[in-house]
Amino acid sequence: MINLTINGKAITAPEGSTILEAARANGIDIPTLCYDKAVEIYGACGLCVVEAEGIPKLLRSCSAKCTEGMVINTESKRVVQSRKIAMELLMSAHEGDCVAPCQLNCPARTDCQGYVGMIANGEYDSALKIIKSNIPLPAAIGRVCPHPCEKACRRKNVEEPINIAQLKAFAADMDLNKDSYVPECKESTGKKVAVIGGGPAGLSAAYYLTIMGHEVTVYDMMEKMGGMLRYGIPQYRLPKEILDKEIAIIEKTGVKLVNNVKLGKDFTIESLKAENDAVIVAVGAWKSSSMRTPGEELQGVYGGIDFLRAVIQGNAPEIGEKVAVCGGGNTAMDACRTAVRLGAKEVYVVYRRTRNEMPAEKIEIDEAEEEGVIYKFLTNPISFNGEDGKVKSITLQVMELGEPDASGRRKPVPVEGKTEEIAVDSVILAIGQKLVQGDVSELTLNNRGNIEADPDFFTTNIEGVFAIGDATNKGASIAVEAIGEADRCARAVDAYLNGQALDTRVPYISKRDESTIDYSDRTKQSRLTPKVLAPEVRNKSFAEVSLGFTEEEAKAEANRCLECGCREYYKCKLLNVAQRYDINPERWAGEMPQKYTRDENAFIERNTSKCILCGLCVRSCREVMDIHAFGLMGRGFTTEPSPAFALPLDQTKCNNCGLCVQLCPTGALTEKFNLPKQVPLNEEYTEEFVDIDGKKASVLVSRYNGKVLRVVPNDEVSRSSGLSREELFNLL
Amino acid sequence: MRIVIGQGSCGIAAGAEKVRKALLNTDINPENISITGCIGMCYLEPIVDIYNEDKLVRLVKVSEKDAPAIAEYVKTGDASKIEKLVVSDEDSEFLSKQTRIALRNCGIINPEIIDEYIEKDGYTALKKAVCSMTPEEVIEVIKTSGLAGRGGAGFPTWFKWNAARQSKGEEKYLICNADEGDPGAFMDRAVIESDPHNLIEGMLIGAYAIGAKHAVVYVRAEYPLAIKRLKNALEQARQKGIVGNNIFGTDFSCDFMIKAGAGAFVCGEETALIESLEGHRGMPRLKPPFPAQSGFWRKPSNINNVETFANVAWIINNGGEAFAAMGTEGSKGTKVFAVTGKVKRSGLVEIPMGKTLRDVIFDIGGGMKTDKAFKAVQMGGPSGGCIPADLIDTVIDYKALGATGAIMGSGGMVVMDESTCMVGMAKFFLDFTAKESCGKCIHCRIGTKRMLEMLDRITKGEGKEGDVELLEELCYSIKDGALCGLGQTAPNPVLTTIKYFRDEYVAHISEHKCPAGECSDLIEYKIIEDKCKGCTLCARNCPVQAISGTVKNPHSIDTDKCIKCGKCYTVCKFGAVVKE
Repeated sequence: MINLTINGKAITAPEGSTILEAARANGIDIPTLCYDKAVEIYGACGLCVVEAEGIPKLLRSCSAKCTEGMVINTESKRVVQSRKIAMELLMSAHEGDCVAPCQLNCPARTDCQGYVGMIANGEYDSALKIIKSNIPLPAAIGRVCPHPCEKACRRKNVEEPINIAQLKAFAADMDLNKDSYVPECKESTGKKVAVIGGGPAGLSAAYYLTIMGHEVTVYDMMEKMGGMLRYGIPQYRLPKEILDKEIAIIEKTGVKLVNNVKLGKDFTIESLKAENDAVIVAVGAWKSSSMRTPGEELQGVYGGIDFLRAVIQGNAPEIGEKVAVCGGGNTAMDACRTAVRLGAKEVYVVYRRTRNEMPAEKIEIDEAEEEGVIYKFLTNPISFNGEDGKVKSITLQVMELGEPDASGRRKPVPVEGKTEEIAVDSVILAIGQKLVQGDVSELTLNNRGNIEADPDFFTTNIEGVFAIGDATNKGASIAVEAIGEADRCARAVDAYLNGQALDTRVPYISKRDESTIDYSDRTKQSRLTPKVLAPEVRNKSFAEVSLGFTEEEAKAEANRCLECGCREYYKCKLLNVAQRYDINPERWAGEMPQKYTRDENAFIERNTSKCILCGLCVRSCREVMDIHAFGLMGRGFTTEPSPAFALPLDQTKCNNCGLCVQLCPTGALTEKFNLPKQVPLNEEYTEEFVDIDGKKASVLVSRYNGKVLRVVPNDEVSRSSGLSREELFNLL
Repeated sequence: MRIVIGQGSCGIAAGAEKVRKALLNTDINPENISITGCIGMCYLEPIVDIYNEDKLVRLVKVSEKDAPAIAEYVKTGDASKIEKLVVSDEDSEFLSKQTRIALRNCGIINPEIIDEYIEKDGYTALKKAVCSMTPEEVIEVIKTSGLAGRGGAGFPTWFKWNAARQSKGEEKYLICNADEGDPGAFMDRAVIESDPHNLIEGMLIGAYAIGAKHAVVYVRAEYPLAIKRLKNALEQARQKGIVGNNIFGTDFSCDFMIKAGAGAFVCGEETALIESLEGHRGMPRLKPPFPAQSGFWRKPSNINNVETFANVAWIINNGGEAFAAMGTEGSKGTKVFAVTGKVKRSGLVEIPMGKTLRDVIFDIGGGMKTDKAFKAVQMGGPSGGCIPADLIDTVIDYKALGATGAIMGSGGMVVMDESTCMVGMAKFFLDFTAKESCGKCIHCRIGTKRMLEMLDRITKGEGKEGDVELLEELCYSIKDGALCGLGQTAPNPVLTTIKYFRDEYVAHISEHKCPAGECSDLIEYKIIEDKCKGCTLCARNCPVQAISGTVKNPHSIDTDKCIKCGKCYTVCKFGAVVKE
């Protein structure tokens, strides 16, 4: 045995062992990308370098042998710098999307490609589980979300984005209409968490923390849970029966829900803190913003969310026949369409810019118009005029569009001396909502008047108190953003309960340069949207406008997905190492070595632009299988592994043993599974044995959600059997 | 009288074969016309040496038209018509100031006739070694001589021989690395073409010392003449019983194999060379194990380059002390340099270690060939670095050269004057290494490419603040992380130019100017009105009609049309065209 020291730890290693072997045997992880026991030592990636005292050069630990008395540092500054540069260089020449842009643009980082793909495959349960790992209220969110995912969807470069949000609602509805999925919770940790506020943020945080094994209670001031989803969004967009069902599932996981209790009155943050191990403040923004226009105090002038809440609670105010809604966002749309449904004859939307600048969803703007709403673009209220304390008319300043402002939209400027007056019976101010500051007097607020919470750790000025959602930082935003924060905050709180601080920032991932992507080979296929109630029917009723996708429609729409994200995302060793170091490959941005191509045969898909030239495919094919289907071609930067004589793999001696795919540390080689849409899935692999011609053969069986996806040869017998994947699959 | 024509590749390229044929068509007795290898004064080729008893008349820049005049001189002794061809005293110094050991027979003997080598004490060292010395004694003599590897790394030869000798195994290989790949280095080619037996003898002594029965010469396929002469020499040596079984009647047997490499620079790296020998793609192996333990076919192998072997026979004959008497404390013997570039006299220069760069460039090389001042010298090819003018007195010594950031390397010496852009120079060498990278390790494959892209941007005026620091960071990482010598040394030209000429980098980046006026994207050609005589020469030579003007009136350049080819600048006789 040899005695040596690694990272200050005295260890022994058998004679002849390498530093890498010795380190791994002692639980010290040294990253490698080109090393595998199955093949000879190669030394290409250089990530396994370590520093040895008294040796000037860095040693490649995969090959350097242990010597007596050696003192090794596997994480010295010089070693880390070398690995960091190696990873930066590698990633600067690795062209691929680890995850699809839809997922990246979703504030909750929902795996859209995953669930859309599983819907296309008809695997609705799997789709739902994928969604629920990021969004506990998918039926609600699918209906109301302004879907940033779709804005990033690359299908828009072919014709139109995938209807991701509606697909989410479809999968969620399928689940609600049967024995719904309730996740298993981890063993109880004995830790208690209190969540203040039962809106999307609070409920989501509670759901994920409960799954993690903590005991969570949600306290809410209203009579029912749901927050703004319930009290800020009209029934015709989100039927409350749907929300009730989803909240019921959350409750089934074990979350305790307590309604009709108010912060500051029934309890304080400090009092909750005393009874719990952590507190999450998710109180939302429940106050309508003022326009600071004279006459706002007049009777008949309502705040947007106040109006919506009153209607939902069955206390609709008198709005008369002529209603003006001020604002251009989704709340303004909700307000005007609600006013229509309450029987108003003339409903105006007063907006100081034009239709193109409206922040509301296009479909909302269009559907409102279909229902009879009248838009007054380029007008701005300068006074609300009343009689006997009740509003009677609005004076509007006529505007025109000037130079673009900071948001990139053209700034409205008044046209001097040009005004207009419209008679109204009521006015709804839908221009924003704010935190009720008095409720959270124990917490430090920022200069916008919102709770100051760390954007990555969600901590506040009180230790053990976290804050998320509309009440924090930049203020009110969309529900899915609050849910994303809740998901991340749950992990941060879980870490806190374990005595750690977790930075929930998204680690490095590889992205393709969008401008280089060619879509000319894609066949155009229009986006499908669910059918809706006819305008003349829906404007008299609070029944849900959208009829939702049929199964057939959903599958067809999901099949349009371009599958941007890498299939090997969950197994990628390259990404794993890249995320270990604080890398910035942009520093070395330059030419890509290979054109982005996909080349496939029946089992294997090759994508050389993702190749990192670890040589494992070439070496394993040569050294283990003695088949030589691959070789290295070219020199220098443009070197690539290529099938012999640059032939298609089918025309080489390749027997589809799949060893190269198994060893490939990234997505350059992938193997297909038995579903039409090849979705990146966090598969579970188990070794099993089958009988091949009387011989016991080892195979790896991949399953997702209980379904066998593929059977992969795993030893000499199975690799040399010459059996196709189907045949192997049938042996199981 | 004996007439000898210099017929190395250099001479032949300059027209030496035409001269020989023309001489054979005169009435000179063909038996008196012979050839030799590279004489060393490349800038004066073709060279014809006329030996009259002990007297040598050396004619330079000879053309076939001079054959009758030479014939007349041979016949009548009338030198009047060849006087203009006789080498000048000044040019003679190019050779007379050298001390030639490795090149001792080059340009003197006929490389295609073994007896001429034997006449010069050829194979006496081999005989001495195998008949009267033990292998250990041979290694001891080499140790005493202080001979170090001349291929680049400068590792002590005796140490490698000894390691291979000590390595267990019946089968051992002695390999000669003749894959001379540095741009601007050609001493190995000269040795094989001009004195192949010297190489064979050195290798046989080495094979005897380590106990190898097999010797391999890995030579570039681009050296067909060298391969031809080596094959011919081996055949002649075999016939004389010098190569093959029971050499000089002893138990020592050794045969040779020649492998023509396909021209990959990386195959000069010893483990990549072995991979290539075995028929694989030329990619370096990880060390350890070193070739002395596990080399060709995983057997103990020793690899030295041509120039190293070329010194061995001399050392055995003259003793290790004689060799060690030359040079410095840490660097013994002589070193051959291939001097090229803006120097007046270019060619092969062999001098004792311990001389200075000034001795080579100015004393022997004659200084600059233009009126521009000496700026720097690139030592050691793409793996080396540049040494600026103010370090011209640096001593030729492994350590002293290493201290400048450059290396001794294989002896390439590219001399530059002030018209050379140092960023462009670094880019040139890096372009070479990036293309020659085998693609195996990340640092070399991607790192050199990224460096090249940055240098390219800088020379186009697209550099950003901080690029120099970024380059340095990448350079040091590549040196640390690359797998083999190619990658580990590839940043040297960049690092040394940054070290000595940082201002030039900054000028490209911050001012978008190329101080040397070489980067075409950063210069503009202009005509100075006062100096222009209106001769129209520039306008007539401009390939894109960018120059306008009438006869005897000042011309002007339309910079929008100008493609910056520099033709006007070159042809103007009045210095009226300037680069800005």
